[in-house]
Amino acid sequence: MSIEVRNLIKKFDERTVINDISFKVADGEVLAIVGFSGSGKSTVLKLICGLIPFDSGEILTSEGDIAMVFQYSALFDSLTVADNISFALRERKDLRKKYTKDEIKKIVSQKLELVGLKGIENKFPSELSGGMQKRVSFARAIVTKPNTILYDEPTAGLDPMSSTLIEDYIVSLKREINAASIVVTHQMSTITRTADRVIMLYDGKIVFEGTPTELLKQDNPYTKQFVTASLEGPMQMQG
Amino acid sequence: MATTLQKYLKQSATYKVFSQFLVVFADFLDTLGKIAQMGVHVVKAIFKREIDGKELLAQCDRFGVSSLPITLSIVGMTSIIVASQVAHEMVKQGGGNFVGMLMTILIVREVGAIMSGFAITSMIGSSLASELATMRVTEQVDAIDVLGVDSVSYLFVPRVLSGMIMMPFVVILASVVGVLLGAVTSDMFAGLTYRAYFDSAGLGLYMKDLGVCLLKAASFGATISLISCTCGFYASGGAKGVGLATTKAVVWSFIAIVVLDMVFAVLFFF
Repeated sequence: MSIEVRNLIKKFDERTVINDISFKVADGEVLAIVGFSGSGKSTVLKLICGLIPFDSGEILTSEGDIAMVFQYSALFDSLTVADNISFALRERKDLRKKYTKDEIKKIVSQKLELVGLKGIENKFPSELSGGMQKRVSFARAIVTKPNTILYDEPTAGLDPMSSTLIEDYIVSLKREINAASIVVTHQMSTITRTADRVIMLYDGKIVFEGTPTELLKQDNPYTKQFVTASLEGPMQMQG
Repeated sequence: MATTLQKYLKQSATYKVFSQFLVVFADFLDTLGKIAQMGVHVVKAIFKREIDGKELLAQCDRFGVSSLPITLSIVGMTSIIVASQVAHEMVKQGGGNFVGMLMTILIVREVGAIMSGFAITSMIGSSLASELATMRVTEQVDAIDVLGVDSVSYLFVPRVLSGMIMMPFVVILASVVGVLLGAVTSDMFAGLTYRAYFDSAGLGLYMKDLGVCLLKAASFGATISLISCTCGFYASGGAKGVGLATTKAVVWSFIAIVVLDMVFAVLFFF
């Protein structure tokens, strides 16, 4: 077990956004959480990495770091690419004396090479394209060798080729560091190319759990509506 | 019947004014609580020596050096205005020998610190608030936390410390410029000689005044940074949220400066 979520409930004011959900993700497994906008997908990630507190339930994770790749990269715009990637190594209490400057430089180069962006250490995030920023945020996330990686809409807003590249990185990172990964997405290509299992959220509840192939079979009225992108079905758009 | 009465009451102007007042009061208490909470966090972090030296230097440069032109201009111009109003009248009433004393006391005890505080708030405070607010709404603050770094210590400590360290230097420089411009203005508007001005300049000034001035400046600097960082840190809701946080930081800093100034006046000169 790397991540186990049990009976998780989260309310914002009086509105229940996550309503008693439970699931597990094993090491080396990629779980895709899908659903329409506003279904609570990103909230689940923020609850798992502790950015927001939950009201009841349990979140169990294995010892080690949790990393997150944010939807809009969330790179520190006042720092260079190298400083962004090495941020945790330089600023975290338990790591800041562990590495020398030369070692940090080497690690940054290695991570950049891993995401196919050699030689951009001194550039600032504003000088990079959206896809490149996303890849730098991948490099920053894996610098502490996490055993859990959370991806919040990693391919949203990217062109098809950049999306494919990002999806390949998710798969290769899974193999490389054997981390348990959760990918929040609503893009079919990301689901089919990266996920081992899929859960679908609607109105804060899990309405489908299975493999990407089972999702595509459309046996369930929710999956049918999601896959066909139909306005007719049990799910109503919020707002 | 009860429902109709309730509906009628909710439509009344008194109800609307009172409920609006409660909302504003709740927000006031909420902000005050957050500032206090962040203040305690920063003090703890400073005692634990969680200070990034490189970042502290960068913030000192921003707080002290880049704010100097506007601070010196505002304090200088205030001194010119005050001197032009009082010097001529005092010379006319036979008090010309005390213009220097009056200007020095006024600038060292009040004008230097308070006008520098206002200048720093509008220039540095607003920039700190919008910087942190932008980081918040673009999830950069969340990224700091997810990477295992304490975002409050990382963002607040160098900024609050730089305010505390640099503000006394800024106020000293601004006060010197203010006193000098007071002399020039008194000469131009009232024909008061520089010698007469500077002979009395030190008369009413004691070491206590300088000490209180520096202490006040340090507390203004720390307060402006703390309030501005807190307002930015708790921003939400995109571009509008950044704007609201910046406005809140400036308003709260202005009020805090006046309140702190009053506390210092009561504590040391009452």
